[in-house]
Amino acid sequence: MSRFANRREAFWQGIRDALGAPVLVLFAGMVGFGAMGRSHGFDAWMTGLTSLLMFALPGQVVMLEMFISGSSLLAIGFAVTLTSTRFVTMVVTLFPQLHRRDRNPLLYLWVHMLAMTAWAVSMREFPRMSAQHRLNYFIGLALPCWLISPMGTVLGYFVAGWVPAAVTLGLVFINPLFFLLTFTDVKPWANRIAIGLGCVLGPAFYLLDADSSLLLTGLVAGSLAYWVDRRWLRPRPVEVQA
Amino acid sequence: MMTADMQGWGVWLALSAACIGTYVCRAAGVKLSGHIHQDSEVFRWLSAVTYAMVAALTVRMILMPLGLLATVPVLLRVVICALSLAVMVSSPQRRLVPALLTGTLLMLAYGVFRTSP
Repeated sequence: MSRFANRREAFWQGIRDALGAPVLVLFAGMVGFGAMGRSHGFDAWMTGLTSLLMFALPGQVVMLEMFISGSSLLAIGFAVTLTSTRFVTMVVTLFPQLHRRDRNPLLYLWVHMLAMTAWAVSMREFPRMSAQHRLNYFIGLALPCWLISPMGTVLGYFVAGWVPAAVTLGLVFINPLFFLLTFTDVKPWANRIAIGLGCVLGPAFYLLDADSSLLLTGLVAGSLAYWVDRRWLRPRPVEVQA
Repeated sequence: MMTADMQGWGVWLALSAACIGTYVCRAAGVKLSGHIHQDSEVFRWLSAVTYAMVAALTVRMILMPLGLLATVPVLLRVVICALSLAVMVSSPQRRLVPALLTGTLLMLAYGVFRTSP
């Protein structure tokens, strides 16, 4: 029994799943980013291109903030790369679920469309479909998310100033709220504990050192959660009698 | 603040550096993922690490935001999150869009309330 008849059907289901909360979330976040670029005095082209070519909202915000505060190019590159380290493990946890046939160099192209939104939805949906449909589903899901981002950014850039602050406030808030809500859908206990510990340790490490705090939180909270799960929660493997 | 030079080549160099740094992380993920199986222990460990990172990032955006959101009292941000979560888990099917709307509209309402005299 397969959920989709063929790969095309999986692609269109991905598109349908994207055209709801995921596209809304990215659009809102990017409108906020566009408004921020405008208020910081950046060029509209440059602000829009950032969303198209970088497509990682936290890194984009870090870049703008550091540039305004006059940081060196090297420092900007380093800080942004550190905030993007989450992509390494996001890809490593998502792509091994793809069919062996799809795990080819084309993935270097598709990976650019991966953001936290598509990742969170894919992690939830992948187990519910067979492996050969996953890549097409992912492309259908991630493509609209990526394409809406520069549009939202440019729109945000041009409407900044005449949209009431209350609306902007609502839009900026959608992003963190979405991720918070998707956490309730996470099933494995190791990951649930990791989320709980990450919520507690994240702010603490952020106060110690902002740049490396994500990576540090991930390693400490994630390893601890993995260990707790392995030590106490996971059902013991059944001993095979010879 | 802004100088003429900042709008020139400096900003494009910063953008290039940031784009390359971000893409390198994505590409490194693809490279590494080729050696990892989804039922391996490494995979389970990395999943936990990733969820912890994403959680830390989310909490940071809520508790220590930059810009406009920082002007909203932290207690109010937390209460609105709690209400949205309550809407989300109120049904086993998960009410994602209603929960998102709850949070967004409450935040919007606060913004309207704040600006009205």
